[in-house]
Amino acid sequence: MDTKVNLPVTEKPKLSVRNLNFYYSSFHALKNINLDIPENKVTAFIGPSGCGKSTLLRTFNRMFELYPDQRAEGEILLDGENILTSKDDVSLIRAKVGMVFQKPTPFPMSIYDNIAFGVKLFETLPRIEMDERVEWALKKAALWNEVKDKLNQSGSGLSGGQQQRLCIARGIAIKPEVLLLDEPCSALDPISTGKIEELIHELKTDYTVVIVTHNMQQAARSSDYTAYMYLGDLIEFGPTSDVFMKPKKKDTEDYITGRFG
Amino acid sequence: MNSTTTMTAQATALQASRVAKHASRKRVNAIALTLSLAAMAFGLFWLIWILIETIRLGVGGLTLSLFTQMTPPPQAEDGGLANAIFGSVTMVTLATLIGTPVGILAGIYLAEYGQKTWLGSVTRFINDILLAAPSIVVGLFIYSVIVARMKSFSGWAGILALALIVIPVVIRTTENMLSLIPNALREAAYALGTPKWKVIMTVTLKSARAGVLTGILLALARIAGETAPLLFTALSNQFWTSDLSSPMASLPVTIFKFAMSPYENWQKLAWAGVFLITLGVLVLNILARTFLRNKH
Amino acid sequence: MSDKHLSTQFDAELSGISTRVLEMGGIVESQVARSVYALTNFSAEIASDVLMTEERVNQIEVEIDRDLSTIIARRQPTARDLRLLIAISKTIANLERVGDEAARIARTVQRLLNSGVSSRLRLPVKDLGYEAELAVSQLRKALDAFARLDVDKAVEVLKADDLIDQEFEGLMRKLITFMMEDPRTISSSIDLVFVAKAIERVGDHAKNLAEQIIYIVKGTDVRHNSVGEVESLVR
Repeated sequence: MDTKVNLPVTEKPKLSVRNLNFYYSSFHALKNINLDIPENKVTAFIGPSGCGKSTLLRTFNRMFELYPDQRAEGEILLDGENILTSKDDVSLIRAKVGMVFQKPTPFPMSIYDNIAFGVKLFETLPRIEMDERVEWALKKAALWNEVKDKLNQSGSGLSGGQQQRLCIARGIAIKPEVLLLDEPCSALDPISTGKIEELIHELKTDYTVVIVTHNMQQAARSSDYTAYMYLGDLIEFGPTSDVFMKPKKKDTEDYITGRFG
Repeated sequence: MNSTTTMTAQATALQASRVAKHASRKRVNAIALTLSLAAMAFGLFWLIWILIETIRLGVGGLTLSLFTQMTPPPQAEDGGLANAIFGSVTMVTLATLIGTPVGILAGIYLAEYGQKTWLGSVTRFINDILLAAPSIVVGLFIYSVIVARMKSFSGWAGILALALIVIPVVIRTTENMLSLIPNALREAAYALGTPKWKVIMTVTLKSARAGVLTGILLALARIAGETAPLLFTALSNQFWTSDLSSPMASLPVTIFKFAMSPYENWQKLAWAGVFLITLGVLVLNILARTFLRNKH
Repeated sequence: MSDKHLSTQFDAELSGISTRVLEMGGIVESQVARSVYALTNFSAEIASDVLMTEERVNQIEVEIDRDLSTIIARRQPTARDLRLLIAISKTIANLERVGDEAARIARTVQRLLNSGVSSRLRLPVKDLGYEAELAVSQLRKALDAFARLDVDKAVEVLKADDLIDQEFEGLMRKLITFMMEDPRTISSSIDLVFVAKAIERVGDHAKNLAEQIIYIVKGTDVRHNSVGEVESLVR
């Protein structure tokens, strides 16, 4: 599939994917993907189940390496450097490219320790600075006011929406450059979803955000760019308003208007 | 209730079949429930009888001297189980302290590193065999390897034998508890850039700690009552000793010796010992359960 | 992939509203034709009939708009579906104004009949009839193109607007000549000028419809482009 992706001249690509092929054992899950993720913008991946959007997202922080039968071929350039063949320890890459998952997963420790966990891996901060960092992260995640008096309580005592915002705070506390969100709202109620979408909008001033969602309206609401994928191919990529008003490919239009045949 | 005049013939027939089926289901339910209750009563009956006998025969021997005096010669006036109690407590504790780290580390390997490796499969297989091995076999093994070579029974031999029983239990429960932790939690830790060992120690193991601790407590409760391995390794000792390289008394072996004897004072002490062991195991099990419930 | 939505309800709603738009189009088309017929045949009866039907036209516009809002609220349409609904909203506004023009013509007929007519005025009235035929046929063509979402037909309608404008200018010259020749005809001639203007506006509304069709199918807004530009845009 030849989709030369042309970003407008004002957009600088943060992540560039070149000729990426991905395999689950012998199953060819991603077929020759070429894509540029613009910096400080929100990019959404949409498509039916099994199209490869989560698979593609998980190549950006090499999460697939946890599973021996998964492999990626091709290039993924982060600021020009190929992360698939980088000599750096994968932990350093993951410090730059953070991820929040579908199910909220608070660690079995206090709220404070949850946030401080990632920070302690890479930085040695005196207590006061750590406190500040925790507060900053929780404020960014719009959770500070709800938990500032119970930082020592276990993270599992929070509601679903709060836990997910805790995971987001945990992810941004280490100050990554890219934030990957894998269906972050699918387990949440509409109000929590709305709060997180607001948060995503604010986050893009400082981070490059990539979000996988099966909710098309969420993609339409929250993203600046949208990529439509189907059965491992990238079908279309462009500014969200174009994709949702005047998509270039009939396949894309059929999907977003609900004509699944 | 709808008036039957508004129902069609079909609806009436459906309703009739529903009622009939329901009645037959109720009958089957009643029979099954009765049988289950009867079985439960049968089991409980024996259990309660055992407990009553234990209390009846054992509680009489509960005096301070039980804990302060040594095992007496036959037909003596006074005496206690102090050396046996000390021996049991020491050997069980040390066996647990030795076996637990080995078991936990092996369990971590199996759950986190060896899910699909050949070494993992072989280890799991051997562990399952060891878990099911009769404890007398373990005792004889230690006898031939250590006691026969050293030409003496000793507390250390007893500790080793008990440790070999603890290890498979801890391995199994640790592996099971770690496997129950969802992968999503591990992935969340990896996504922050956490190295593998740290993920295991601070996230996975910590999440599973309630289950792992329960496993340890259960292993402890099991070896507290084991007799056969101690027969061939620590043997027994009439007198007080804290020297682990000499034969040591233990509650199970002492009970074995005293209960089969024709001497009344010995029999009384045996029942008191039985009571103590039963009480100890009961307390440990309750601790294990409350621990698991609270931490979850 | 088929052209049908997974939701048959949605399909039914869209085809239902499109059908109503065509119905409205049909009514206003006949309104214009009949109001001009009333003029060329000096029929007071037909003129008042047209005025009564005008109520119905306004009512339909309100109903369709309400259905439109409901579909948008419930279905969150995107791409082609959204463009269709936006275009329908503008189309019915145009159709309603066509209805207004027909009513205006009918009222003029009534006024003329009440003040008496001169036989010499029959000539330009025939020309008006011809101009009206042009306009009505363009309207019909535009409605056809909407029914079939036919871009080529829509472009033809855009091109034909010039013809109608030319007809109108011709009529203006004729009427001015009449007024100069016989000042007694000024009052009626001015009425006819307004009628001619109304018909010319009907042609403009047909053109607007055609522009909406291009928007639906191509996604391009051609409301302020020249015909030449439009032709290259739709290729």
